[in-house]
Amino acid sequence: MTTEKNETKIGKIINPILLTIYSIFALFPLFWMVLLSFKRNDQMFNTTFIFTPTWDNFKSVLSGGTYAKAFLDSLIIGFGSVLIAVVVGVLGAYALARYEFKGKESLAFTILSFKFAPEILVVLPLFMLYQRMGLYDTYIGLIWVYQLIVLPLIIWVLRGYFEDIPVEIEQASQLDGYNWFQIFFKRVMPLAGPGVVASALLGFIFAWNNFTFPLILTGFDISTVTVVSLNYLASDTVQYGQVAAAALISALPAIILTIFIQKHLVRGLSFGAIKQ
Amino acid sequence: MANIEFQAVTKKFGNTIALNNVNVEIKDGEFFVLFGPAGAGKTTTLKTIAGLEIPDEGIVKFDGKIINTVHPSKRNISMVFENYALYPNLTVFDNIASPLRSPKHKKEEEEIKKEVVRITTMLGIEKFLDRLPSQLSNGQRQRVALGRSLIREKPNAFLLDEPLAHLDAKLRNQMRTELKGIKSEFKSTVVYVTHDFSEALSLGDRVGIINNGKILQIGIPDEIYYMPINIFVAKLIGEPEINIIEAKIRSRRNEYQIFMMNNNYSIEKDEVLEKFLSQEGENSIQVGIRPDDLEITEGNEGSIRGEVIGYEVSGNYSVLTLTIDENIVRVKVPIESKYNLGETVFIKPNIERTLIFDQDGNFLTCLNKEIFAVRER
Repeated sequence: MTTEKNETKIGKIINPILLTIYSIFALFPLFWMVLLSFKRNDQMFNTTFIFTPTWDNFKSVLSGGTYAKAFLDSLIIGFGSVLIAVVVGVLGAYALARYEFKGKESLAFTILSFKFAPEILVVLPLFMLYQRMGLYDTYIGLIWVYQLIVLPLIIWVLRGYFEDIPVEIEQASQLDGYNWFQIFFKRVMPLAGPGVVASALLGFIFAWNNFTFPLILTGFDISTVTVVSLNYLASDTVQYGQVAAAALISALPAIILTIFIQKHLVRGLSFGAIKQ
Repeated sequence: MANIEFQAVTKKFGNTIALNNVNVEIKDGEFFVLFGPAGAGKTTTLKTIAGLEIPDEGIVKFDGKIINTVHPSKRNISMVFENYALYPNLTVFDNIASPLRSPKHKKEEEEIKKEVVRITTMLGIEKFLDRLPSQLSNGQRQRVALGRSLIREKPNAFLLDEPLAHLDAKLRNQMRTELKGIKSEFKSTVVYVTHDFSEALSLGDRVGIINNGKILQIGIPDEIYYMPINIFVAKLIGEPEINIIEAKIRSRRNEYQIFMMNNNYSIEKDEVLEKFLSQEGENSIQVGIRPDDLEITEGNEGSIRGEVIGYEVSGNYSVLTLTIDENIVRVKVPIESKYNLGETVFIKPNIERTLIFDQDGNFLTCLNKEIFAVRER
């Protein structure tokens, strides 16, 4: 009995300490990046926490147009890929969940396997294909290739969701007299909603962060924030302040989206796991 | 309402045969109970009637019309699923109103409201109209499922799939009585599936016994209880299980003699037995005696001696298990009795109420002559 008490006592002191140490470890790089983005070049290497903050880095990143355009392009490509992947993926996931057909599991695994392949392996043949097809440096080209990243995610999360919805609910609706469209949109989709939101958000983050595809498959007309941030790593000097500012701005969409949807996010990712 | 007919219906799921050449005719407006153990094919039968499963072979007819390929939404069937299948994101009101808002059965909102209130009041759930299914108890959910089914006006049939299965014993008894009371509400053919024999016998106009996808017997409840078609059916009905005892029967001049458990019993001559006793001498039979039809005695003439190997309290009676020679015999005794393991007990069977089966387990006759009047009806 006394040993138990002692352990809990020690636990009460050690646990918060360990958690604090880990939090610092995890969050410090981000914190440092925020600091960097407000530092002037001449104070970059001789100050740590105390310095005179400036908006200059942000100003130079956002003026000049390249970064702003890349930001817009990233948004277009990100939302575009997620939109297509959701439309295709929802229907595909429903088919995998509800229907039986030859080669079903092979198909499902093949779709999942797209996520295993290293992008660098496929990007060179894709480059040649895209040049031939005229898809090089186009929105459609990138949105299409981003399906490799976003679609498997959506299909696998939603397949679990649809499988967890008892088929009797759809059968009861049929007997009530509803047709397939009404059943799918009024009965099934509201139940799968959290799954769509969670996987779409995750898919957007993966699409937004992608570097290899835009690097090779775009050049002049279109660029993404990931590729454009490279510009700040010039050969002779590295503008750390501007790199930090660029990175910070590029993290904003994901952060804002997550804050708005966080209520659905945890439920969306864990709901499928628990049997009702 | 409609007359439902299955002609040689077979349904397989992979290598499992769920329905094996099923032939049954459910009469227009009757309350038909389909009874059998788990996995017998009861739910598959209901789903085939509803069109949620299509038979691999055979024909399903409503009022003489073949409906094998008719879509479920066009069959005008109302069904209560075993797991209720309530719409989780709709309130109780919207769940029950759902059939009347569909394109097939659309009604005015005013009328819908009146009907929902009427039905929920009848089922005792009128206070829960704004709740979601997740905020209801199991019994309340079951009533919502029943309400959503009852709100349909004169469908071809109501299909109920083990509606009382997931309720606790007390609630199940209460609901069975309530269901009997609202039988008249179902102004249509009803097919009711259960694995509980007391539900089957108390609710059904006729009962169909199914096992391994095959229909074993169809009849009115009395027929099933007093004239089960074989020993398997006899064992399914009745709690505690009927006793089956090996015996021999001999033909004498004016009577038959049954020799079982080292005792002789005389019974009247009987047409059915006469046909059966084709050969001279003894025939082997199996005698079915229900635990209610065995009496505890002091050991006087005609009594059989047995040894107690078990005693169990079961509701408002107790079950005494005895060994007699190589037979295990169950006797229903009052709940106040006291018995010790290994004790010697004497019993006497009420021969007039036994069932006689042949060596293969097929029903020959019931010695209770009054019951034969049942068949005539």
